[in-house]
Amino acid sequence: MSEVLACRRLRGEAKPEIIDALQDEFDVLWEDASFVTEADRMTFSTAVVEVASNGVQHSVGSGDRPVELGVELTVTRNRLQASVSEYGAVEAPAGAQGEAAALELPAEDMESGRGLHLVRALVTTVVYERRDGANIWTLRKNTAS
Amino acid sequence: MVAAPKLREVVAEAVAAGNTRIVVNLSGTDFMDSSGLGALIGCLKLARQAGGDLRIACVEPQVQMVLELTSMNRVLKPHSSVEEAFSDE
Repeated sequence: MSEVLACRRLRGEAKPEIIDALQDEFDVLWEDASFVTEADRMTFSTAVVEVASNGVQHSVGSGDRPVELGVELTVTRNRLQASVSEYGAVEAPAGAQGEAAALELPAEDMESGRGLHLVRALVTTVVYERRDGANIWTLRKNTAS
Repeated sequence: MVAAPKLREVVAEAVAAGNTRIVVNLSGTDFMDSSGLGALIGCLKLARQAGGDLRIACVEPQVQMVLELTSMNRVLKPHSSVEEAFSDE
């Protein structure tokens, strides 16, 4: 296993504010992992924010409590990894489950449906799991360094 | 994500006021996700339905990347400046 060189975590209610907090966590992460190239930072953070935003906008609570979003970001020498978890959410629809998502882009005048296509173009692997009542997306990006 | 509804609101007001040729200056937008892209497409449709058009200018690298990876740069072609955006008319 490669040594973890930088790691950040956050968890909070799945509201738009958590996306700003996530952007702040990335700023700290890149300070701790300054060797990561600008291109890798941009592609990886775009993918993670896309999945997290998706959770804020589309996750549906399975109980009385609001859905919580958890994000863990990990940097090793050759890989950037993120897990984005929707706690207390009903299972994600099949079309939103990472690898299972449709390959084709929607028509040009459609206003939605590009998110997971974008994510898959940005990272090396996207894996969806349903575990302990949570939806968990794991994104991995192999880096050049 | 927070800016997307505001963009729709501003463009809808402009189109309703009869301003149907719209340039969105993206020089201050250093990050856009697919909901922001969706808002731009919605605004483009609104402007075109009113007989006008919507164009984008001063696109930052992250936004450029999102446009290219979704092939939406064919529909929302980035222009280098606000002035240049409608210079072909």
